[in-house]
Amino acid sequence: MSEEVKIIDKGKVPSDATMLFGFPDVGLVGVIAASHIISELNLAEVAYMDSKLLPPLIVLHEGLPHSPVRIFGNHNILLAVSETAIPADIIYPIMNALISWGKSKNVKMMISLSGIPIQDRQDIQELKVFAAASNLETLKMVKEKGIEILNEGYMVGPQAIMLQHCANIGLKALTLLGQCFLNYPDPEAAAEVLKELAHITGIKVDVSKLLEKGEEIRLKARDIMKRTQQELTKMKKTQEYDIPLYVS
Amino acid sequence: MSTRKRRSIFDVVNEYFESLEEMAEVLEKKLTERPSWNHKTCTIEPLRNIMITPMEVIVTVDLPYTNENAIQVKSLDKSTIEISANMRQKIRFDDFGITHYKGEFQKLYCHTRIPVPVDMDKMEIRFKKGILEIRLPRRHGYAIPKE
Repeated sequence: MSEEVKIIDKGKVPSDATMLFGFPDVGLVGVIAASHIISELNLAEVAYMDSKLLPPLIVLHEGLPHSPVRIFGNHNILLAVSETAIPADIIYPIMNALISWGKSKNVKMMISLSGIPIQDRQDIQELKVFAAASNLETLKMVKEKGIEILNEGYMVGPQAIMLQHCANIGLKALTLLGQCFLNYPDPEAAAEVLKELAHITGIKVDVSKLLEKGEEIRLKARDIMKRTQQELTKMKKTQEYDIPLYVS
Repeated sequence: MSTRKRRSIFDVVNEYFESLEEMAEVLEKKLTERPSWNHKTCTIEPLRNIMITPMEVIVTVDLPYTNENAIQVKSLDKSTIEISANMRQKIRFDDFGITHYKGEFQKLYCHTRIPVPVDMDKMEIRFKKGILEIRLPRRHGYAIPKE
């Protein structure tokens, strides 16, 4: 683990768990999905991030300070979530530290929950979920589950760093991307991603409450969405719309 | 032969001042952070987005807790629109778990500047899945016809 980013264990951390990531990105799909998993499965905080690279802020819950980047878990799940937009210039050290920590806990697979923006989202009834993986074996497994693969293109943000880093160190990793609004919180997209997560891993979460609370989430998530949008601009998120020049 | 319409000096000066105002507004937003709510006016500022296409400007606004008949869209001048929407229920800080601020909100409100000339009279509005969509046809100052 790097000196500048430390992850401090707080509770019992399971080994051989599936590690999930829910970081602020388009439509806040990952954060919304992660928050719902935490509340539905009653996950406890097992570790937190301590780093001077993070913005100088804490999150207060019931009067007590918490790191904005924390890891929750139970006997077979670890879930890393951020309650603040991660500045574009520190995504590498943050993600690398989380992956190294996960590897030290022998996680069997890493899965990033995220979104992929689609134009005229409000007109779309059935949202698709796409996947990309760190190796052929994981890609094959996802294809067999009937999930569409994101074949060509660019990926920008924490999930991109996670896939590449896991590919480099030979760790099974997957990114699930639900079609969503670019810059509005999208609980419906989060629900679709959670359904596919259940399909792939067996981690089942009832999404009916998430859909019921959709308007409340959209109202509450405005500020974090706005700040995330600013960071997405800095990391040139719109590059995901670019047509790649394929170099074989 | 070109048939480009000449613009008057007043139009050019007006446009110059408008662009200055726009730049000042952008700068002000960057330099002065403010909350996304106003407890004096009991309003919450919704998220919004502007997309400029060759033919029109599309403004979208995320309006949770709102019904279509509770939304009002007004043009304040030729480049600014005001959007307000009464919410179905009052929202209190307590609802967000916040106890150190007091206040309740019953309206979503924002105004937004349209960065290119548009025809406000031809504004089209629709509301779907909680997203307000305002379409404004672009007004082009002059046309350069083909020879």
